[in-house]
Amino acid sequence: MSARQIGRRLPRKEDRRLLTGAGRFVDDLRFEGELHVAFLRSPHAHARIDTLDTAQAAAMPGVAGIFTIADLTTDGVLDIPPFFLPKEVEGREIFAPAQPVLARDHVRQIGEAVAMVVAECASLARDATERIVVTYTPLPATVETATADAPGSAIVWPEAPDNLCYIHEIGDAAATAAAFAKAAHIVERRIVNNRLIIHSIEPRAVIALPPDSDGRQTIHTNGQTPHRVRDKSVELLGLPAGSLRCVIGDVGGAFGMKNMIYPETLSVLWAARRLGRPVRWPGSNGEGFVTDSQARDHVSDAALALDTEGRILGFRTVNRANLGAYATNMGTLSPVAGIPASCGPYRIPAAHVQVRAVLTNTVRTDVFRGAGRPEAINLIERLIEAAAEEMGIDRVELRRRNMIGPADLPHETPTGLVYDSGDFPATLDRAREIADLDGFGARRAESEARGCLRGLGLVPYVEANGGPGMTEPTDLITTPDGGVTVLSGMMSNGQGHETAFAQIVADRFGLDPDEVEIVQGDTDRVKHGMGTAGSRSLVLDGTAMHLAMETLVELARPIAGHLLEAAPADLAFEDGGFVIAGTDRRIAMREVFRAAHDPARLPPGDAPGLEAHAEFTPGKHAHPNGCHIAEVEVDPDTGRVRVLRYSCVQDIGLVINPMIVEGQIHGGLAHGLGQALLEDTRYDAEGQLLSGSLMDYCLPRADDMPDISIILEGTPCPSNPLGVKGVGESAAMPSPPAITAALLDALAPLGVHDIDMPATPQAVWRTIRNAAPAPQP
Amino acid sequence: MRFESPQTTKDAVALLAGAKGKGRVLAGGTDLLVQMKSGMAAPDVIVDIKRIPAMKSIKAEKDGMRVGAAVASAEMAEHAALAKGWPGVVEAADLIGSTQIQGRATLAGNLCNGSPAADSVPAMAAIGAKARVVGPKKRRDVLVEKIVTGPGKISLAKDELIESILLPKRPPRSGDAYLRFIPRTEMDIAVAGAAVSLTLDTKGVCTDARVIIGAVGPRIIDVKDGAKALIGTKVDKAALKAMEAACSAAATPIDDKRGTKEFRKHVVGVLARRAGQIALKRAKGSK
Repeated sequence: MSARQIGRRLPRKEDRRLLTGAGRFVDDLRFEGELHVAFLRSPHAHARIDTLDTAQAAAMPGVAGIFTIADLTTDGVLDIPPFFLPKEVEGREIFAPAQPVLARDHVRQIGEAVAMVVAECASLARDATERIVVTYTPLPATVETATADAPGSAIVWPEAPDNLCYIHEIGDAAATAAAFAKAAHIVERRIVNNRLIIHSIEPRAVIALPPDSDGRQTIHTNGQTPHRVRDKSVELLGLPAGSLRCVIGDVGGAFGMKNMIYPETLSVLWAARRLGRPVRWPGSNGEGFVTDSQARDHVSDAALALDTEGRILGFRTVNRANLGAYATNMGTLSPVAGIPASCGPYRIPAAHVQVRAVLTNTVRTDVFRGAGRPEAINLIERLIEAAAEEMGIDRVELRRRNMIGPADLPHETPTGLVYDSGDFPATLDRAREIADLDGFGARRAESEARGCLRGLGLVPYVEANGGPGMTEPTDLITTPDGGVTVLSGMMSNGQGHETAFAQIVADRFGLDPDEVEIVQGDTDRVKHGMGTAGSRSLVLDGTAMHLAMETLVELARPIAGHLLEAAPADLAFEDGGFVIAGTDRRIAMREVFRAAHDPARLPPGDAPGLEAHAEFTPGKHAHPNGCHIAEVEVDPDTGRVRVLRYSCVQDIGLVINPMIVEGQIHGGLAHGLGQALLEDTRYDAEGQLLSGSLMDYCLPRADDMPDISIILEGTPCPSNPLGVKGVGESAAMPSPPAITAALLDALAPLGVHDIDMPATPQAVWRTIRNAAPAPQP
Repeated sequence: MRFESPQTTKDAVALLAGAKGKGRVLAGGTDLLVQMKSGMAAPDVIVDIKRIPAMKSIKAEKDGMRVGAAVASAEMAEHAALAKGWPGVVEAADLIGSTQIQGRATLAGNLCNGSPAADSVPAMAAIGAKARVVGPKKRRDVLVEKIVTGPGKISLAKDELIESILLPKRPPRSGDAYLRFIPRTEMDIAVAGAAVSLTLDTKGVCTDARVIIGAVGPRIIDVKDGAKALIGTKVDKAALKAMEAACSAAATPIDDKRGTKEFRKHVVGVLARRAGQIALKRAKGSK
C-alpha cells in the first residue's frame, strides 16, 4: 500500500531554495546591455500639468530616452481600463475612468508617473528625472470617502461632478424596508473599513526584453496572473497575438496587489520595443506606497432590524467605497464582489445593499486578501455586537439564536449565496472550547490586578470563493522516469503550490511528491490559466488536477492491461496502481508511466507518451467557514492594545497540507490584526500621503502576533469532487471584527460603545477619555 | 569624500580641525550612514573613531564609569557593573533600534544626532552624565543636557568631538529608570519618553530626584516640579501622581502624525509615573 500524501505536514519543496537565498526574483536577473528606468512622479494629488520640458534631461549623457504620454499615444498604447463593470442602478450611467500609462494633462493622485526616463544606470535615470521641468497648477482635492459624493466636494473628474463611478444595488429594497418597518429594535452604525497600504517583501518589478528575431518579446515580472499580464499587455500595447511571453519566478508576496496590470508593466514593455534593449524597473518600497493598489476604504451606514427576541429581520447598508482616482483593473469589483458574504452564518430574511463607488484624489484601491468579504463580514458582526449590547442579550446567545443549523442546508441568503455544507453551531461550540472560555474570568481578574482591562470577541463567519463563471485548465504529462509534470495556470506567491499540488498528484498515483513537478509562471509552457487570487487555486486547479488524474487513469489502463497480460476491464485502480481484480498481481503507476514512454513495452501501435488535460468549472461557490475568538488586553493609561490569545476553528473541507494551511491562517491574522489595531493610512486634505513609509505606517511585526490555536475540522466541500474549500484569505475576514469586539468588551466598563479601526493607542485613549463612564450597578 | 580611521583622539580632532568643508564623526553609523544614503548628509571628511582604544572601552574611575564614544549599546548591556549601577541608562540604550542596530549604535552618537526623541539622552541626563568633549586645545566635561541645543543641533565646535561619557557614581539607595512610548512594541521612534532618577535616605524618604522627559519638545525637558514632587516624600502614590501631573504640564509637544499634543502630554506623564515606580523599586533594592 502506498503512503498517503494528502494530509501530510510535508515541509515545503520551495523552502530550500527560498531559505538558502537561491530564490529567483525579478531583481536577481541581469541581461546584457540593459537599461534602467526611473519615473518622475507627481508631487501633487490633483493638478493640471501646464508645461513639461524634458529637453535638458534628455541631453544628459547616458540618457537613452525620456518619454511622456504623447510618445505612448503616438504608438497606440491604450489606457488601462476596468476589467469589471457592475450593473448600474436605473437611470444612471457608469463613469469608470481608465488610467493612462503616464499622466495626460492632469495628475489625479500623488505619485502618478508624469514622465519616464530610461538611462544607462539607475542612479543616472533618477538624476535625470530631477532635470525634467514641470509646471503644475494645483487643484483642490477630494480625499474623504464619506463625503466624496456630497455637494461641495472638489470634482475629481469633470465627467462625474458627483464623484461617483457607479451606484450598484444588491438584494430586495422593498422587502428590507418592510422588515425594518415591523422591527422591534433597529441598530444603526457608521462602520469604517479602514484603508490599508499593501506590502509585499518583494516590491513590484518589471524587466522587459526587446523583440527577438521572430519579433517576440519576453517580460519578467512578479505577480499572480501571468496570463493576464500576457493577454492584457498584448491588447493594450496593440501587439500581435502570440508575440509576448510572460515569465514569473518566485514571488515575494502579493496579497491581491500584484493581481494587476500596472502602468509600469506597459511602459517598460513599450520602452524595450522602442529602444531595442532590455529595460529594467525594480520598484522600491517607497515607490510602492504611492503606486501599488491600496485596499478596503469603505464607509458604511449599516443597520440591522430585529424582533423582540433578537431574531434578525433585515439588514441594510449604504456603503461608500473609495476607488481612488482611477477605475482600472479589478478596483471596480472589490466593493461589490464581497457583499454577498454580509449575511454571515445567520438566517437573514431580507437584505439590501447600496454601493456608492466614489472617485477621489487618492491612490487607487483594488482587491486585497478577501476582496470585499472582510468588509462585509465586519459590517454584520459589528451590528450584531451592537444589537446584543443595546438589547441586553448575550452576544453569543444572540448569534446562536440566528444561526443557520446543519438541518437548514442548503440555505440561500438574500444576497444570493447558497450555503451547502458546514455545521456552524458545532464550529462555534468547538471554538469556545479551545479558547477556554471558562477560564476567561480568571484571566480578566489577573489583567485587572495589573491595572489593565481584558476583553473577548467571538466571530463566526462563512465566505464564498471559486464560483460560477470561472474555468481553470490543467495538464498532466507523465515523464519517462515515471513521474508527472503538472502544467498549472495558477501562480504561487507564497501559497506553496509546488508542495500542495504535488501532494495531490502523488497521493493518487503512489508517487513521492518529489516525483511531481509543478510548472507555473511561464506562458510559453502553460498556455492558459486564471492565476492565483481569491483563495481559489486549490479549489479550481486542485480540482482540475483531480479530474485530469481520472482521465490519466483511464488512459493508462490499457497499458497496464498489456503489461499485466490482463483485460483492461479486469483491472481495478487502487493504492496508486492497477491490480487484477481478485488477485495480488499489481503494477504501480510509476511503472505504467515508464512503460508509456517505452515503445517496447507499449501495446502494439500505441504512440509513446501519456498526458491528460482537464478543466474545472465550478457550478457554485465553495464556502469555507469557521469561528474565531480573540482575547485582548488594554492598558487604559496609554491606550495600548495587545492580542494575548487567539483561537480559531476552520472548516476548509479536505486539508492537503495542515502546515501550509496554518501558515495561511497566521498570515491572514497578521493582516486582520494590522487592520484592526495598527495600520493607519492617512492623507491630508490636499491628498498628500502622510503615512508614506514604514516609519509612519505600522505594519504588524512578529512581536505583535499572539500564539494561535488552530483546529482544522469540518466537512468536505460538496461543490467540487476534491472536497476542498480554500483557505488563503480566511483569517483576514473574521479577525478584524473579532479583535474589535474583544476591545469593546474590554472597554465596556468605561462606557465605550464604539470605536473605529485601526484602534491605535492614541485612538483608544481618546475614546476612553470621551466616553461617559458606565453607571455603577 | 575622505574617509579616515585615526588611532588617537588627538589625530581625530586634528582631522576635524583640518577638514576642508564638512567633517563628520562616524561611530556606529546608524544615523550618519542612513542620512548619507538618503542624500541628507554629504560630508567631505568622515572620521571613524572605532580604531581609537580610549573610545572603545568601558572603564571604572573614581567618580563613576567612563563609556567610550564608540562603545555599542549591546556592549553596555553585557557589562554587568554598568547594567547594575545605571540600569535606566542601559535599558534606554538597549531600546535603540533592533538587535543589529544595537551592535553598532552608541550613547555618544545618539546624543550628537540631536534628535528630540533620542532614547538614551533623557536617561543620561537624569543621572547627571557628563560628556568629555575634546578639541585641539583643551578638553572639557559637559553635562549631557548642554550638548543638544535643538533638533539636530549640538553645542560642539567644528573641531570638537566627544571622547567618552561619564556615568557618575551613584549614592547609596539610588535607582533610575527609562520608559518610552511607541506605536508598536519594538524598533520605533519614541512618541514620548521619560527618565527618573532618585535617591532615598535610610528611612525611605526621597532626598534627591531628577525627572527628564523626551520627545515632547524640541529638546529634552528637565521637569524640576516633577523632582520637587518626589523629594521629601516616600515616593508614594500621591507623590507619583503629582510628578505625573508636573510632567504633563511641562511637556511642549507638537501635533504630528505620530501623536497629538494632548495624547503626548498625557502619556509622558504616565511614563514618568511608571518610571518613578521602577526607579523606587531599584533604589530600595540597592541598599
